[in-house]
Amino acid sequence: MNQHRSFSRAICLFLALTMLMTSGITAPVHAAMIGTDPAAAAIRAETVRERLHQMLLKKELQAALIAQGIDPAEAGSRVDTLSDSEAIRLADTLDQLPAGGGAVGALITAGLIVFLVLLFTDIMGFTDVFPFVKKHAR
Amino acid sequence: MPRLSSAGRRLARLVIFAMAGSLVAGCAGLAPRAVMPQPEHVPARIELTRVPFFNQENDQCGPAAMAMVLAWCGEPADPLVLKKEVFSPGRKGTLQPAMLSTARRHGKVAYEVRGAVSLFSQVAAGHPVIVLQNLGLSWHPVWHYAVVVGYDFQKQTIALHSGRTPNKQVPFSVFENTWKKSDLWGLTILPPDRLPANASEKAYVEAIMGIERARQWQAAALGYQTALARWPSSLTALVGLGNASYNLGDLNTAETAFAKACRLDPRFAPAFNNHAHILAELGREQEALNAARQAVAIGGAMKDIYLKTLLEIQTRNVD
Repeated sequence: MNQHRSFSRAICLFLALTMLMTSGITAPVHAAMIGTDPAAAAIRAETVRERLHQMLLKKELQAALIAQGIDPAEAGSRVDTLSDSEAIRLADTLDQLPAGGGAVGALITAGLIVFLVLLFTDIMGFTDVFPFVKKHAR
Repeated sequence: MPRLSSAGRRLARLVIFAMAGSLVAGCAGLAPRAVMPQPEHVPARIELTRVPFFNQENDQCGPAAMAMVLAWCGEPADPLVLKKEVFSPGRKGTLQPAMLSTARRHGKVAYEVRGAVSLFSQVAAGHPVIVLQNLGLSWHPVWHYAVVVGYDFQKQTIALHSGRTPNKQVPFSVFENTWKKSDLWGLTILPPDRLPANASEKAYVEAIMGIERARQWQAAALGYQTALARWPSSLTALVGLGNASYNLGDLNTAETAFAKACRLDPRFAPAFNNHAHILAELGREQEALNAARQAVAIGGAMKDIYLKTLLEIQTRNVD
């Protein structure tokens, strides 16, 4: 797992460097319009190093999403629409981020103890799993 | 063997008692308080009647919630189609960033909401809000997206399009318990000509940049214009409007935007660089040269690009 991770890190670094080379932050090939993102980064006075780090991270993030069963093109466009800070937030918490799925399927996996506890907490109003538990405002 | 299992049973019993004990302690410690204080200048009761409801299939609350707000925005929306865009099969659920991303790819403003005051302000302004709740417990989470479509401070209830129930009335106390486990996270999704209630310049402009990143140029241009109507001196919004308009082929709007950006901050080289490109394409060669020279003179991290721009315009002139 770790080996796999460092390998993908190396690939990411390579990709990010290639992107940088071609995107014209360090070695522009063509004269170019400056995109809104790098312009905003300039307004925030970010350094090239910070931008590089963030681009690297987005590649890694895309790989992580692919590992979660999302197809590569789709993972790419999901990551592309995030800002650098949103991408950082996602990367930091990808494994812990709550994935909203809803109560319908999750209940089948819940055992009897969990059922009883949730029933109790539902009646008390701490949770809201069962539609048949009538809630009263307190 | 039997000994082991009886010990196991004893342990289980102990755990249950401990849990029950902690729950009771939790209840005893709860003092009555206004969990969801009514913010000033919002009405006591709001009902959003024009938010369509989509029934949720199994773990598909993310796509369903997304479909409801996109449909409210006037977008044709189908949870089954949206599933491909927001759902993470490996997690059997929908992650919050995927919600942002999907809204942006549909050319909509995804504006995050934190806390009750912000939530009520959005709903009072007529905007439905997607909320993330943990309907279960911290050690047995049941994460769920619902759409807030109203509230009532007299009855102390909030109205949710949730799961298979449209307009479900949930007591504030219950809602707060389930919502606080996501750190009171919510998401307003709006058409780009509409400002969120109490919008902050930075957050709003960044939301529009997300639309631009999704290459929804028309929506992005409209969003930047909305931002500029409210914050006329937003440099980022001016650059964004210029870039989005340029991608739409609307050179005149782009030219005006970059010209304003240059006037607003005469030390901001990227605006001069982009202005030079647009002026050159409009055939205003002398002005283009001046702008390109100005960018080079200011310099900075992207100086190489400015030099290339200048060179390109000079060669074009010679031709």
